[in-house]
Amino acid sequence: MSIDSNYAHPEVLVTTAWVADHLKDDGIRIIESNEDVLLYDVGHIPGAVHIDWQRDLQDHTVRDYIQPEAFASLCRRNGITPETTCIFYGDKSNWWSCYALWVFRLFGHSNVKIMDGGRDKWIAEGRPLTREVPSFPAAEYPVPSARLDCEIRAFYDEALAQSKASRPLIDVRSPGEFKGLVTHMPEYPQEGVLRGGHIPGAQSVPWKEAVNPDATFKNAAELKKIYEENLGLKPDDDVIVYCRIGERSSHTWFVLNYLLGFTKVRNYDGSWTEWGNRVGAPIEKSA
Amino acid sequence: MSYPAKLEAIISLFEELPDAEKRETLIAYADQAKAQEPGEGESFDLEDVRKDEECTDTVAVFLRVDPAGGAHFRITLGRQVQTLTKAMSSILCKGLDGITPEQILAIPADFVPKIVGAELVRLRSQTVYYLLTRMKGIVKVWLRRKQAGES
Repeated sequence: MSIDSNYAHPEVLVTTAWVADHLKDDGIRIIESNEDVLLYDVGHIPGAVHIDWQRDLQDHTVRDYIQPEAFASLCRRNGITPETTCIFYGDKSNWWSCYALWVFRLFGHSNVKIMDGGRDKWIAEGRPLTREVPSFPAAEYPVPSARLDCEIRAFYDEALAQSKASRPLIDVRSPGEFKGLVTHMPEYPQEGVLRGGHIPGAQSVPWKEAVNPDATFKNAAELKKIYEENLGLKPDDDVIVYCRIGERSSHTWFVLNYLLGFTKVRNYDGSWTEWGNRVGAPIEKSA
Repeated sequence: MSYPAKLEAIISLFEELPDAEKRETLIAYADQAKAQEPGEGESFDLEDVRKDEECTDTVAVFLRVDPAGGAHFRITLGRQVQTLTKAMSSILCKGLDGITPEQILAIPADFVPKIVGAELVRLRSQTVYYLLTRMKGIVKVWLRRKQAGES
């Protein structure tokens, strides 16, 4: 299956077949990011490196992402230069690969792509996996001058302002979480949230609406119907997306930003684990 | 408290391993998860097949208690179950094999981080505890039925 040319930026998606044909190309790095912490070790696409969302991308003492120095170091040891095209894939319909891609964008690395369908599609098609961990010569990666938090990331105060101004807020969690019936998604442990509900004024569009059963993204017409026709969003709207810790909303951020061409989408990664616990944060529950 | 001898041996092995080898050993146990499924013609005293909220896929636990009172488990895991949970199914089937139901109920879950290691114990990997809970659950039912049969 090919990539829908009607996406706003079809070039940010590659098919599993394309990846299979370009495994040894210079200038690309295939990166696996998963929720299952041992999945990469069990077997991965030949030549793929592993970037662990928690170990590699998060600060271990402050609830925040790594600083520019650590990002440059991460890239250097994985043989990534500022010109390298990073192709992300992973489990869970590419939640964590979209999350890793979004973090790369925070540091200004814009040569990024997602392998449509992720790890599950690669395996379903019987493509090869290996346990061999590749090694690349250390690359030159200058320390980025800053993390671009103000461009594609939203913080609590910004989400609150968005809510008060009745600007678009999209809650991508499951319907039960949105309604406040549960404080965690089905099949997952409670991640320490005291209250259930959603940010006042947020609209519910679960991330899953954007994908097909084989984990590929829905086509451009289907996505437009979901976000533009049904929800009434316009590509130049100032939109904030959130979930529980920011990974599912990275998926929706990717859809809005790259596949539909929205120009002002921010991911509120503090998400419900911040909002639902924060003293004084207003919440809304709905039937 | 001390653990059953077979489980103690597995815990000791993991505690001595550096992180990289710990991961390799966990994967080796995960690879053996299929071997813990019920064999052709095997019969059991109890079967508990469920898809719970706490786990990403169906987990089936099978219990046989031999005439000497030793418990033996078989476990079938759905495809979406995480690798750590697969590893834990092999570890528990081997580590608890042959001990009594009462001993199983007394086992604390504090051995899990000793096996898995600090780096891999994460909030989203808590299903590693889930299997022990399921095994204790089926054992409790077996004991209740046994007690009811005796009274």
